[in-house]
Amino acid sequence: MGMVAELERRQSAMELHIINSIQQSLDNNQPLSFQALASLRSLIINPATPDSTLSSVLDALSRSLQLNRDPVFLHHALKLLSDLASHRPHLSPFALDLLRSDSLFSSASPRLVGESLSVLLSLASIGNDIDAARFVSLCLGPSVSVRQCLLRNAEKLVFRESVLLAVFLGFTRDPYPYVRKEALDGLVKLCKNGDFDDRDVIEGCYCRAVELLRDAENYVRSAAVRAVCEWGRLLVICSEDMNKQDSSDAVFIQLGCMVRDMSVDVRLEAFEALGKIGLVSEDILLQTLSKKVLGINKDKAFKPVEGLDISASAVAGAYIHGLEDEFSEVRMSACYSLRTLTVFSLRFACEALNLMMDMLNDDSTVVRLQALDTIHHMATSNHLKVEKIHIHRFLSALVDSSSVIRSMTRKILKLAKLPQFKLFKLCIDGLLGNLEIYPQDEADVFSALFHIGRNHGKFTVHIIEEVSPEMEPASGGKLSFDSTRVAAFLVLAISAPLSHEKDVSAIPPRIFSYAVTWLGRISYGLSDLMNQEKLLAYLSECSRSSTISLADFKINEALLTVESDAPIPLCSKVDSPVSMPFWKDSGGTSDYHHQEFLSLGKSAAHAEYELGEHSELRKYVNLIFKKVKDFWSLVELGCTTEAFKGIRACKEEVASFTADSPGSSGAVAFTLQYLQVIGMLAKVWGHLRPTKMLNPYGVGKLELLFAKLDRRLREISNRFIGLSKGEELQILDLVLVACLLRLSKMEICCCNAAMKLLLSTVAHVEYLHKEGSIELSNFVTEVKKSLHDADSSSSSSTCKPLLFKKLLDSFSLQQFVLYGTPRYIHAELAVPSNDSENPLPFIPGIPASIPLAITLHNVLTESRLWVRISMSEESTQFVFLDLNLIRNEKRSINVVREFTFVAPFYRTPKAISFTVRASLGLECFRENIDRVKVFGGPKCELTYLCPEKEIFLCKSTEC
Amino acid sequence: MAIDCLVLGAGQEVGKSCMVVSINGKRIMFDCGMHMGYTDSRRYPDFSLISKTGDFDNALTCVIVTHFHLDHIGALPYFTEVCGYKGPIYMTYPTKALAPLMLEDYRKNMDRRGEDEQFTSDHIAECMKKVIPVDLKQTVQVDKDLQIRAYYAGHVIGAAMFYAKVGDAAMVYTGDYNMTPDRHLGAAQIDRLQLDLLITESTYATTIRDSRYGREREFLKAVHNCVAAGGKVLIPTFALGRAQELCILLEDYWERMNLKVPIYFSAGLTIQANMYYKMLINWTSQKIKETYATHNAFDFKNVRNFDRSLINAPGPCVLFATPGMIVGGFSLEVFMQWAPSENNLVTLPGYCVAGTIGHKLMSGKPTKIDLDKDTQINVRCQIHQLSFSPHTDAKGIMDLVKFLSPKHAILVHGEKPKMATLKERIQSELGIQCYCPANNETVTIPSTHYVKADASGTFIRSCLNPNFKFSTHSSTDKSYLDSNKSKAVSRLSVSDDRATEGILVVEKGKKAKVIHQDEILHMLGEKKHEIQFAYCIPMPMARTEDLSSTSHMLCGFDKSTLISRLSMILSDELSEGNILDLGEELQVESFRVSVCSSDNCPHRLSSSLQNGSESVFFCCNWSVADEKLAWKIISIMKNSTL
Repeated sequence: MGMVAELERRQSAMELHIINSIQQSLDNNQPLSFQALASLRSLIINPATPDSTLSSVLDALSRSLQLNRDPVFLHHALKLLSDLASHRPHLSPFALDLLRSDSLFSSASPRLVGESLSVLLSLASIGNDIDAARFVSLCLGPSVSVRQCLLRNAEKLVFRESVLLAVFLGFTRDPYPYVRKEALDGLVKLCKNGDFDDRDVIEGCYCRAVELLRDAENYVRSAAVRAVCEWGRLLVICSEDMNKQDSSDAVFIQLGCMVRDMSVDVRLEAFEALGKIGLVSEDILLQTLSKKVLGINKDKAFKPVEGLDISASAVAGAYIHGLEDEFSEVRMSACYSLRTLTVFSLRFACEALNLMMDMLNDDSTVVRLQALDTIHHMATSNHLKVEKIHIHRFLSALVDSSSVIRSMTRKILKLAKLPQFKLFKLCIDGLLGNLEIYPQDEADVFSALFHIGRNHGKFTVHIIEEVSPEMEPASGGKLSFDSTRVAAFLVLAISAPLSHEKDVSAIPPRIFSYAVTWLGRISYGLSDLMNQEKLLAYLSECSRSSTISLADFKINEALLTVESDAPIPLCSKVDSPVSMPFWKDSGGTSDYHHQEFLSLGKSAAHAEYELGEHSELRKYVNLIFKKVKDFWSLVELGCTTEAFKGIRACKEEVASFTADSPGSSGAVAFTLQYLQVIGMLAKVWGHLRPTKMLNPYGVGKLELLFAKLDRRLREISNRFIGLSKGEELQILDLVLVACLLRLSKMEICCCNAAMKLLLSTVAHVEYLHKEGSIELSNFVTEVKKSLHDADSSSSSSTCKPLLFKKLLDSFSLQQFVLYGTPRYIHAELAVPSNDSENPLPFIPGIPASIPLAITLHNVLTESRLWVRISMSEESTQFVFLDLNLIRNEKRSINVVREFTFVAPFYRTPKAISFTVRASLGLECFRENIDRVKVFGGPKCELTYLCPEKEIFLCKSTEC
Repeated sequence: MAIDCLVLGAGQEVGKSCMVVSINGKRIMFDCGMHMGYTDSRRYPDFSLISKTGDFDNALTCVIVTHFHLDHIGALPYFTEVCGYKGPIYMTYPTKALAPLMLEDYRKNMDRRGEDEQFTSDHIAECMKKVIPVDLKQTVQVDKDLQIRAYYAGHVIGAAMFYAKVGDAAMVYTGDYNMTPDRHLGAAQIDRLQLDLLITESTYATTIRDSRYGREREFLKAVHNCVAAGGKVLIPTFALGRAQELCILLEDYWERMNLKVPIYFSAGLTIQANMYYKMLINWTSQKIKETYATHNAFDFKNVRNFDRSLINAPGPCVLFATPGMIVGGFSLEVFMQWAPSENNLVTLPGYCVAGTIGHKLMSGKPTKIDLDKDTQINVRCQIHQLSFSPHTDAKGIMDLVKFLSPKHAILVHGEKPKMATLKERIQSELGIQCYCPANNETVTIPSTHYVKADASGTFIRSCLNPNFKFSTHSSTDKSYLDSNKSKAVSRLSVSDDRATEGILVVEKGKKAKVIHQDEILHMLGEKKHEIQFAYCIPMPMARTEDLSSTSHMLCGFDKSTLISRLSMILSDELSEGNILDLGEELQVESFRVSVCSSDNCPHRLSSSLQNGSESVFFCCNWSVADEKLAWKIISIMKNSTL
């Protein structure tokens, strides 16, 4: 204790001494010696120095700055100030003020200015210190390093795009290669964030970038490749519709020329860029897989921009070269970018598959894995056509020494649909071989066998017939032969009854009883499909009769159609395909999951069971969301029809799902709803966004579209419970986009309402943001910012279509990731024994009673439900349904309520018979009704939970 | 200045690569190979063409050898030891290490065949002492003016392309190279250089090869099927290169597929070569370099030494045996034992010299081979033909030429008709002048010569500051001209005028100098002259004015009113230019107009004199740059009334 005090005393004495000596020399108008500066520095970086001392240090520095203008001294002073500002955040304002003083920041020496600028930048406190004119004049100065620093940080200094564009474009002519590189990088950033629709500018930048593809320096060429890609994409967007394909092809070819560059970095960039150009015609794609120039491309030349002619032959064999590149990074990047392109053409996918199969022989594991991932991707997008010559090569991956490779291969096999028995047999043999060499894979091999058997019922039966002697117990009643092998065949056999094919019931029932003896191991392998009890039930059921009807057996429900599962996320980010893979499932949310189930009053065991079952489905659903994101980029490119096609295909895929297993319906319904929202959004977007084209739809039609979109959005945001905050935020993003779209179109904009909704949504977003500490998307931040700006600038700022249009540019669809299991709120409404033949009785003028049999799914007690009964548009009435008053007749685990509710219908007409339409609506709290309030009706907009039910009434004859 | 290339070998043929290039007074011999197909004097290049007197030391600055293949190095001991060249010889480290093995092997074979010995073991050793080894990308200053630098070429271990620069003239000689990597070597790699000349091999001038994966797959499948069925695989290869490549391929496959079948190397050269490969890791492919720290790829795990007793041992195996093409030696011995069983497999390289057993096996599928009068071999084994090649294909050559974009290209080391095709392609597609000379011909091409010039201070200062200008580059699309709807295509382009502001001045007897354009007048002691046009035109007054007022019109309207009226007219009609009203004068760019009060203005055309009372004269002047604009304005003025 005493020693510490002693030390402190000594230190403060030393500080005092330093400060005093400095003060003294300053009082004598002597500049500070370097030694003094050094001791000052020691004070500054010592964390024990008290603030009071530092204030006097600052004071001394500011005085000495006025005294001394020697550049070397100024340089040291600058360093001291920057140290001070970074070590003591609370003193940094004073330090920064000094930095900005005349002698440093505004000094005539560009080097000092550059240094102080980089200090200011590193402290992230550049404000309005530098205006456009000063920026430009500094850039134009002779100091190259200052120029480079300024260019690199230009976007932090926020200027008008036009200034930045001029500066960046100009400096692509600089004789210093690093300046050229920074200028190109700047152009890329500008292109990503900016809003350009002047074709001259776009062409200018594109051409300049193309010129720099031939630069002597590697890093300039890499930057040029990026710039060509980004500006090229912009060029495609701004092309007229009939030229879009051609310009897109031309940009693709231009980038394809770079895959033979001698620099690895350039090649990497080139493949990355190739994958980003979405729309490429099939001929060109096929050309990339052949080093010989294809006949069809012999004389094909493109001219995207005047003076930039390029021939299709330039891209010949681009992928061949990429896939046999010396560097595994390049090979991986090539595999990855192929993956995105196979979506567009089946023929291309088939040819690419050939190459991918060859890549399975690659010496690098990551490349092999990426190749398998690409194949898996093809399989999930239905572009996988396995042929016999492939199957050997493919199956050899099953005996690969790397377990990741093997598991990925099995994953693909689970999806396979094989046309011939021969191929099927080869696959089974391959799996058996796998099992033999790597017994540790047993569980997954069983799972693969089960899936593959289920997908090929007839073949399975056939193969079981062949091997049944092997499976019969030898003398002594023991299954002794080759235990694991027999087990494998048993797994295959028991999958047959679940096949989707007809008449596959030829598996002898005793096989199922044999399987029971392996119950533990088999159920371990099939744990992703069913638990042990279920399996046992299933097996005993099957062993009892040879012809079982699965209709009354509930197993099929439990077995979700595992048509697909999400591929292993090989690459953590889409932008960098060469980042090392991580083999971690994107799960890790089970805690959240758990809670959700518990809150719904379920037993934990049940929740756990469901969890296992649904992870498969969730993976699949998330894969769909991933695809949707890809489609959205097509929408942004202006190819709405193509995107729409894709979305529709997704919808069909999701719809084909057997959704009746408990809990899965929510996820399926949610996905469908999401697809519908995106579809509508794409439709509206397609009609509002491209200004080049005349809107084919009139305002009226557009209004209808908007109404539909609103309804969909309302449904998705209100009819699902159990969404996490992050998920909810993503949906709110979409609501915001819809609002902005509406606001950006003057003709259809009902300004106040839309603005109100916008504001309330933003408020809700903010609330969620605060609650859950979730990162907001860039788009939302933009919207918030500009709303805030608009708010503060003027009050009459509500309708600014241009502002909203600009905001829309910052929107990019994020990939939706479903973590939990959303519950779908829906209801069934029926009137027992009522049809046009058997109408309900009524007496004209007197209220009629309508008995409604209502089933509610997942409706929370606190939600406000309304029964809407309408005869015509004018005579609509709402009846409030108080859930607290309703006795829950049958409380089930699924939170299903069934009850009968007698609704009165007041305004019966004077007629002999009439029909009314009834439906159930849920009040959405966030959206207030804009129109004149219906007396006694709901205060907010309703989301309808069931289709309208027609009810027939007839004048009572009894009275 | 010019570059002279004398082709001593490999001109329109494959074999005895040798090229003597005179470049700015320096003479370099690239490669010194021998032709394997001849045993007479045609075997060696005709060295007498270099120097009639045999004084090679003065005739040549240096010899550069690209790699250790005999058709590139075979004549070197002969040239140094027999012909007596004593100057420097450059080659890469691996080439220096491995070349003696190759030469010694060749010499022994010659011995065995009973041919006259061209050089002895001592010759080889002596020759190697003269060699100066170089590393990749190491710039070697051969003498004051000549710089050479080696670049990675693939092909075989240690193969290099050589860059040579004398003064301002620069060239690259590729030797043999491969633009695609294989299992043990990388692809050729070179910087983007400014070249006058590129001399490239053109073995596959018209062939375009598929991906190597297919070939590898076929090979692995054949081998795997054979050993899986318990057969033995014989791979006769030469000691260096292919043996290592195939072995790495097999080793990797063995590892992945968990195969335990033994792989053998026949003793001798191959083992020794493997040792060299292990040391020359830096010259192998990326993958091997990367993993070298943990596992040296040439440390073959599954490879064992072969013993004669193992030939008839039971069980499957794979054996690499020298020499290739089964010309004799150990590979023949094993072949005789294994050929009769159909379980066994023999893989043959893509190319076998006629007369060898390899060649016989490839042409048709013989069941019996007569070794000599007494011995006959029953051949029932399977034959697999390898089609790996360490040479680049036509696309690779084109890619390299395109990447380097030299001013001229010379093709060597290829077959004449195919070279002609490639030459045409290079000329038409890349616009590069291309030659394919025959042996003993000389090609002369011009070379670059830079003139050194001083620069003035002003010019240097102006060069320091960026000075870019944007222009809307416009060109009229011709196709629209017919329909009278000329559509201007405009595009934003940027240019930096720093250099164009300089002017090169060469005064008699003085060094050339670059000065800034502003300095030229001062330097020449001249004045700046500008051409100005002037024209005084009358403009009719509007008739709406009362006649009586016309008499005092000039006095009534002061000049500035007239000018402002004119300004209004112009601003209505003129679409371009910025009209400045300076009171008594109007200015549009350099065009100035003012009211002319002098009756005998020299710029007035007498014929245009009308009723003077109704017109006002305007005096216009403009500089030559704005001529178009000026006439536009004048025509407006003529056609309107004030």
